Amino acid sequence: MNKIYIVEDDRSIRTELAELLNNSGYETECLTDFSDAENSIINARPDLILLDINIPAVNGEMLLRKLRKKTDTPVIMVTSRTSEADEVLSMSYGADDYITKPYNPTILLLRISAVLKRASKANIRTSYRNLTINSAKGSLSDGITETVLTKNEMIIFQLLLDRQGHIVSRNDIMTALWDNEEYINDNALTVNISRLRNKLSDFGYGNAIETRKKQGYILV
Amino acid sequence: MSFGKFLSDRLVSVIITLVTWFILWNFFTVFHLTSQQILIIGIIYFLSAVIKILWEFFRKRDFYNNMVSNCDSLESKYLLSAMTESPDFYEGRIIYEILCTTNKSMCDSVAEYRRSSEEFQEYIELWVHEIKLPVASLLLMCHNNPDIDGKYNEQLRRIDDCIENVMYYARSENVRKDYIIKEVSLKRAFANIAIRNREELQQRNVTLKTENLDIPVMTDSKWLEYIMGQIIGNSMKYFSPEREPQIYVYAVDDSEKTVLHIRDNGIGIPASDLPYIFEKSYTGINGHTHSKSTGMGLYIIKNLCESLGHEVKAVSETDSFTDISITFGKNSFLKIPDITEL
Repeated sequence: MNKIYIVEDDRSIRTELAELLNNSGYETECLTDFSDAENSIINARPDLILLDINIPAVNGEMLLRKLRKKTDTPVIMVTSRTSEADEVLSMSYGADDYITKPYNPTILLLRISAVLKRASKANIRTSYRNLTINSAKGSLSDGITETVLTKNEMIIFQLLLDRQGHIVSRNDIMTALWDNEEYINDNALTVNISRLRNKLSDFGYGNAIETRKKQGYILV
Repeated sequence: MSFGKFLSDRLVSVIITLVTWFILWNFFTVFHLTSQQILIIGIIYFLSAVIKILWEFFRKRDFYNNMVSNCDSLESKYLLSAMTESPDFYEGRIIYEILCTTNKSMCDSVAEYRRSSEEFQEYIELWVHEIKLPVASLLLMCHNNPDIDGKYNEQLRRIDDCIENVMYYARSENVRKDYIIKEVSLKRAFANIAIRNREELQQRNVTLKTENLDIPVMTDSKWLEYIMGQIIGNSMKYFSPEREPQIYVYAVDDSEKTVLHIRDNGIGIPASDLPYIFEKSYTGINGHTHSKSTGMGLYIIKNLCESLGHEVKAVSETDSFTDISITFGKNSFLKIPDITEL
């Protein structure tokens, strides 16, 4: 389980953010005493740091610079400032990504998982049961037969796989698809899911994707 | 400074000279001066009067002519006092000093307004950051609580849109160093905006079609996203109930420019309104008969585009389509040179 360290001075956002991350299968720890932020963060040995720019005692950008001298743990900067200058500055100080408040929670989760994958902190799932995923070819294979998934099916399958055992809402799937510039509508999503199910059932996993009424889908 | 006008201005002085001569002349005849003597005195008298006037004219001419030509050539007329040198004659110095004093007083007063406007803008920016925290908090709460349905999210989105409008209006009116021009992918920028508006687009069953967006343009990504968001928002306001709503986003690229088109199949803009849609507070027919309009959206877009050096245009046909295009220049000046090429 990946550990995410939350540096955020707004208490309400902090607790909600921790809950969001916990629900999505991450372990979280929050910074509460900002006087020695740098050492508290390093001692916690997180896999990823969510760092707010406007924090007491020390500016987030300065903190990022100090952290970068000691660790290469991925950092996602979070801020309510919407100016390109802040983003460029943060990235030049070594941030891995930058997201502005108020963020879409699903997008935040997608960014976190992308950054973790890039830093190869997250074990990139390339297999499901006895199926191997070839993301370059966009195909599934059980060693005997190989089935090609469309781009949309692949995005959906990858998302469900990343959160295997957790319910993924239709909203989340939709956001992930749109984030990949696939602007499909609700009906098309239903069609894509049923096609994906058909392709999985060819391998004998017809019941792999379960529907949870009014909640979403879950890969078992 | 014309000599004729200068002379006519000194008409009284000329008359006094002539009258004085007339008195002197009478005087001379009473004392029986010869006409030769009178002639010589007359020449000296009039010569000195002419020299006096010419000397005065040439002395002042340079100062005033300089001032007039400076005033004509200056685009910012208020800089005149800085362009004028202190003259060597008394009245000129009085004028010069008054000019400097009034100018300084005006500068002070302008500076005061500028400062208060900047302070206000700073406060707005600060307020925007503050207000975003509870919005962010509420969005997370909505997401964490599966019982809460999408309508709360939708209202939060509306609040966030209003906040963005305030911020970009403040920025567009008072353009400072808030933007950074760098390479931005049209595709990525549009994806961000599409996701932001996804719920509403899907609710209205809008078909989004994109084509040829994989082009980098030189712009500020945050501003561009705001501009695109406003255009999409407008499209959503003015869809026609008779057609399946559709938004088609595509780019046309040539060696000199990239043109981004956002085209919808909505009710369109009447030709009589089209020339004015980018003007402040202009609402037009659609703004009255269809959705409520503030007339600010397109005005802000125009301002932002101008600051960024983009050109924004609208083409439309009533009850058929509206096509808003943004032209991004490809000036080599904007490109950061590849270090390896140097």
